[in-house]
Amino acid sequence: MKLIELINNFQDFYLLSVRGLMGIVRRPLYGKDLIEQMDYAGAGSLLIVVPVTLFIGMALSLQLSAELSILGLKMYTGKIVGVSIIREIGPVVVALVFAGRVGSGMASELGSMILGHQVDSLRVFGVDPMKKLVTPRIWSAILMLPALTLIGDAVSLSGGYYIAVFVSHQSATFYWSSVRDTLTFENVFAGAAKPFMFGYLIACISCYMGLSTKGGAKGLRQSTTRAVVLSIVMIIVSDFLLTRILLYALGFSV
Amino acid sequence: MIVFEKVFFSYGDRHVLRDLSFTVHEHERVAILGGSGGGKTTILKLILGLISPDSGRIIIDGEDITGKTESQLREVRMKFSIVFQEGALFDSLSVKENVAFCLREYSKLSEEEIDRKVREILRVVDVEEAIDLMPDELSGGMHRRVAIARSLAACEPKVFLYDEPTTGLDPINADNICRLIVDLCRDGKGLITVTHKVSDAMKIAGRFIFLSDGKIVFDGDKDMLLNTTINEIQRFVSG
Repeated sequence: MKLIELINNFQDFYLLSVRGLMGIVRRPLYGKDLIEQMDYAGAGSLLIVVPVTLFIGMALSLQLSAELSILGLKMYTGKIVGVSIIREIGPVVVALVFAGRVGSGMASELGSMILGHQVDSLRVFGVDPMKKLVTPRIWSAILMLPALTLIGDAVSLSGGYYIAVFVSHQSATFYWSSVRDTLTFENVFAGAAKPFMFGYLIACISCYMGLSTKGGAKGLRQSTTRAVVLSIVMIIVSDFLLTRILLYALGFSV
Repeated sequence: MIVFEKVFFSYGDRHVLRDLSFTVHEHERVAILGGSGGGKTTILKLILGLISPDSGRIIIDGEDITGKTESQLREVRMKFSIVFQEGALFDSLSVKENVAFCLREYSKLSEEEIDRKVREILRVVDVEEAIDLMPDELSGGMHRRVAIARSLAACEPKVFLYDEPTTGLDPINADNICRLIVDLCRDGKGLITVTHKVSDAMKIAGRFIFLSDGKIVFDGDKDMLLNTTINEIQRFVSG
């Protein structure tokens, strides 16, 4: 029985992921809902993304400066900070913050709409909840997470710069030229491709968990928690898989 | 006409409806009574095709709706107007936007016409002054009235469905809502209300169905209900 339930859940999740994504090509389009969700997911997340990525960049630069100065290689701080932030830490950290803020928001909002019969009302009025509620959330996450990652990367590199120049007393020009050297197509592509996938995963998981809410306030708590936990696990796992695929596709030797 | 034929329904291992069969004719005003968790709301959801029975048939105007797709159910749902428990208003939209929701979705009316129609409907349910308020700023009674207004704007229903329309309201507001419900049915429209408040049900309906343990244990009019010898119903009626 449990296995059948699990298979049913996977099937429902798959259907939500595909129909939610493809909803953008069928009328009606609900553009106002999309813009509203983009504002919530994008502009609304900036106040969290900026300080988090700033301090991550500063901490990374501090650690590397300390370690590399022992080896007399302090001048490589910018290069290593650049590669780490652009290819790995930036996309993952911003996605984790996004899952915590936007993913939990999506799950709890949809969950409370389910419990308050608002989703049933939509169905009675002939409105497809998938198109009205899920599609705008999926596309807002797909579009906004890469934008936030770009901003997060820039802020992180600036944090690294502050530590490298004002604390570790390295050359500012050399730091930025090292960072600039890391902005190759391979590195930027490897870092830029991930947020699209992370955004899609977070939105699908959160919408699915929200729409499967049952059992009052306790059920809402459980579905929100599940949405965030599963999103975090999937970000980490898919990051590994994507890194493996991208390194192979972009011709890096491991 | 709504026909339930040997309908079984369960949530997981919990059997909610067992071998349920009944018919509601056009223009009939029916109250489905029973304790909390007894499957009353489930019946309304089954009528609208929001959930499917485990077995059995649900026939609306001669058409079996079990197994129909969402787009096929759209036509069936247009025959009904439902007010869910607590109103189920969209809490991110104002009263005006809630009532205008379906008009914006489906009609080609201009904003001016929508505004006029919304005010007209709100006047019918006597809550026009709340047009710019948000759902969380409404009192319980106003909340139900706006929910009724929204359902009126959605379609021209043959049958009104009400899920616990007076629960949580003080006696005066509950009485006002009952009167509004009866007024809306004046032109011969049918209604099915599910409630556990027998006194309110008696103001609204002419036929009473009592559910216990997922089965119908009583089906009759007001006199039969008041004179029943079934102990459970007697306790329910006497409060």
